[in-house]
Amino acid sequence: MIYLQLFLEFFHIGLFSFGGGYATIPFLYHIAETREWYTAQQLTDMIAVSSITPGPVGVNVATFAGYTTSGILGSVIATASVVLPSLIIVIIVSKLLEQFKHNEYVKSIIYCLKPAGCGLLAAVGVNMFISGFNLIGLVLFLILFAMSLKKKHDPLVYLGISAAAGLIIYLINPNM
Amino acid sequence: MEKSLYNIFKAFFKVGTLLLGGGYVILPIMQCELVEKRGWIDNDELCEYTALSQSLPGLIAANLSIFVGYKLKRTLGAIVAIFGMVLPAFLCIIILAKILEELINLRFIQGIFWGVGIGVLVLIYLAIKEIWNKSVTGRFTFFIFFIVFLCSACLKISPAILVILAILTGIVRQIILSRKKPEGSE
Repeated sequence: MIYLQLFLEFFHIGLFSFGGGYATIPFLYHIAETREWYTAQQLTDMIAVSSITPGPVGVNVATFAGYTTSGILGSVIATASVVLPSLIIVIIVSKLLEQFKHNEYVKSIIYCLKPAGCGLLAAVGVNMFISGFNLIGLVLFLILFAMSLKKKHDPLVYLGISAAAGLIIYLINPNM
Repeated sequence: MEKSLYNIFKAFFKVGTLLLGGGYVILPIMQCELVEKRGWIDNDELCEYTALSQSLPGLIAANLSIFVGYKLKRTLGAIVAIFGMVLPAFLCIIILAKILEELINLRFIQGIFWGVGIGVLVLIYLAIKEIWNKSVTGRFTFFIFFIVFLCSACLKISPAILVILAILTGIVRQIILSRKKPEGSE
């Protein structure tokens, strides 16, 4: 039954993708290979499109796969399934944290997890920087960076300016 | 602003709508919407939830929304927060699903993708800066940051392993600290 299959596949992704960001992508390609819900090409398109649609790519692909295979109900099931493991796990962890927040060991673990989390985030940033590197990109990055030094703007300001700059650069030179 | 379920839903619907360019962008958006504009959580809490969200399975944007929602209004708050965060993404894909292929073939869209990618980099950099201020407070925490960064960026070691190592480090650190305490030093 298609609804059960959608639930199982996306619950699996929600439960096992680890480290955030693009950790879901290998799982999503695996689905493209083993199921007939979407092709690898559609997934590649979807990942690109999800950078200008709201929401994390995992949620976007779940909605898309559910919708193309079995309409609105399928898309609701797939989307809910991908966040359900998070909902269960994070609520349990939150309750435990409340109970043990004055425990010295819990405090020490969080003390060490914070810089580790920062290190993981920095690694994601550096990898993204290297993978998309070119001269115009660097100039745009530096301009936006300089703007942030003067005053902290709303995130939408950076995204809006960078999207408009991308469009203008494309119109000037379509082969960029 | 009052932390009613309706206001939590509205706030997370806005966070979800602004969440362009991938899950990590939720960090600078939450800093702007929940820390600065609404004052519902502080940067220290956001930093803690970010570290925990990366340490648990699941999409980071989902985990972070649920942590904050739970903090604001317990289990119901968590459910409302994740629902609000996901809803804009859901509606948008339902609308776009039929024209996805036509959309991707419009070449000028590629220019926008490329531009947004750069904007996302700046946002991630800004988020790292805030998280850094709250997490790297001394030589020991800098050491953890540096090791995790190197292992993840250069050696491509799985985040799961690095998180487990950080947890073990926390336990060992506390064992050493509690042994020292009887002698009068912290």
